[in-house]
Amino acid sequence: MKNRLKVLRAERDWTQAQLAEALDVSRQTVNAIETGKFDPSLPLAFRAARLFGLPIEEIFHDPALEHDGSSLATKTKKDTYV
Amino acid sequence: MNQLKPPEHGYQSRIRTHVIRLFRWNGAWAAATALMAFGPKFLWNKALVFTLLAVGLDVAVGVGMILANKDYLAELDELQRKVQLNSTGITLGVAVVAGVPFSMMAAYHVIPFHADVAYLLILMSLTFAVSNLYGTRRYR
Repeated sequence: MKNRLKVLRAERDWTQAQLAEALDVSRQTVNAIETGKFDPSLPLAFRAARLFGLPIEEIFHDPALEHDGSSLATKTKKDTYV
Repeated sequence: MNQLKPPEHGYQSRIRTHVIRLFRWNGAWAAATALMAFGPKFLWNKALVFTLLAVGLDVAVGVGMILANKDYLAELDELQRKVQLNSTGITLGVAVVAGVPFSMMAAYHVIPFHADVAYLLILMSLTFAVSNLYGTRRYR
């Protein structure tokens, strides 16, 4: 899973340590998420979304969906109705 | 700059409190175990009542240490907990895989010494330390 955590954090001029405290996790966890080494749980992803005031899908993306150029919604619709 | 207000009892401060608590319980358990191991010989000349009291104290402090460790794990964030879980799994696996053949070798006199549980504890401690260090560095 890809994410824009680093960009969003940089835009707000926050350090990893500040973001970690705000999300109630360790700095190591923020770093691991930013570098793509660790995927956060849904509750943590929601906490990040709340903190940045953005919908969750604007922070976290599925790279597989970006590759084939279709969204999950389109795919599901196709699979269901065809 | 959009400033973040740090929480009063933030993650780091809570973890620090739990680590100190865990450290104290570990120290107390080591002291109680030492008392149980050496007390009968050096302090109370193998008097049964005192030996039983020392065993009871060791078990009670051991339970306290387990609970402190449980609380510490519950307080960790999801990545730290994953690292701890991996380390625990590896340690348990190594203990079983190495412990059983070691015990068998002693039973059939393949090794010239008694398969003391202390060897297993040392192996488990080293395995946990190495796997924990590896896990921590992997996600750094």
